[in-house]
Amino acid sequence: MTGVLDLQKNLYRVADLTVEMETFGRTLAQAQPYRTDSSSPADIVIRSAWQGLKEKQPHLSPEECEYLTTGWSFYNQLLDFDGMMLHASAVVMDGRAYLFSAPCGTGKSTHTSIWQRVFGDKVIMLNDDKPALRRIDGTWYAYGTPWSGKYDYNTNMRAPIAGICLLARGTVNKIAPFGGVPAVCALMEQTSRSRNGGPNWAKIAAQLDVLMRDVPVWLMECNMDDEAAILSHKVMSGKAE
Amino acid sequence: MKLKNGFVLREVAGSTVVVPTDAALNLNGMITLNETGKILWTALTDGADTDALVAALLAKYEVDEATAREGVNAFVDGLRKHGFLEE
Repeated sequence: MTGVLDLQKNLYRVADLTVEMETFGRTLAQAQPYRTDSSSPADIVIRSAWQGLKEKQPHLSPEECEYLTTGWSFYNQLLDFDGMMLHASAVVMDGRAYLFSAPCGTGKSTHTSIWQRVFGDKVIMLNDDKPALRRIDGTWYAYGTPWSGKYDYNTNMRAPIAGICLLARGTVNKIAPFGGVPAVCALMEQTSRSRNGGPNWAKIAAQLDVLMRDVPVWLMECNMDDEAAILSHKVMSGKAE
Repeated sequence: MKLKNGFVLREVAGSTVVVPTDAALNLNGMITLNETGKILWTALTDGADTDALVAALLAKYEVDEATAREGVNAFVDGLRKHGFLEE
């Protein structure tokens, strides 16, 4: 690493919260669309803290460490504002958000890219990896955030959540309501990807308890055909019989 | 027999989940408890020994003592395997 990192402290508006963040590099660049001139006091304060992670994970670059640690800081603090993170690829269509969650490598982004292929410009990529979820006046919204995974696939907007779908690979497409212990376990495991710094599991459990009462949860086996997107959209939007 | 500190039960959408209270602890796989497990966990929190756990089950369910003791032993083995017990 050469020289001093060019840290910049700015105010941002993320998930309807005012965020003061001091950061650099890719995190600074991805946060640019979220800049605000608001003079309201910060709800969430994020300090540059990449060094701690770099010591534990020397193979990561300072930029990558910064991106991960600022994200963990944001999503941990979000738990104090009727909110939580879900590891999901989230798209918006006709004003509502559709969240597809699964362990890494299952094909979340692949499924939402099929949505984009099938429905074209009607589909907005809200957040390809870690949407923020918040309950505001009784409605759960999904938000774009600067933390959206490997690529900068996010849009600074919010939309009420139509449904959350856990994905599994299959040869045929089928989708059904998902509940009980398996659904709770699957969602708990996708509510924090943090392995450093530690999530607050009791707070996550409390948020998830409310979320699962309010928002329909589905389990889908899917392949990569157009039919996969047509089926998940039809069922989750309530347009099925 | 004592439960390690740092774990609490939380109800999530009708399921009982064991979650760490210490942020430094990671979930080592999700642990959920059924109705019986919840009774036994709660009794353990109150300092029950094996006999007290068996008694807690007998008070709640119409089972014979041998069956209850078998259930308690299996539960305690599970706790030990997942590292929830202080030995």
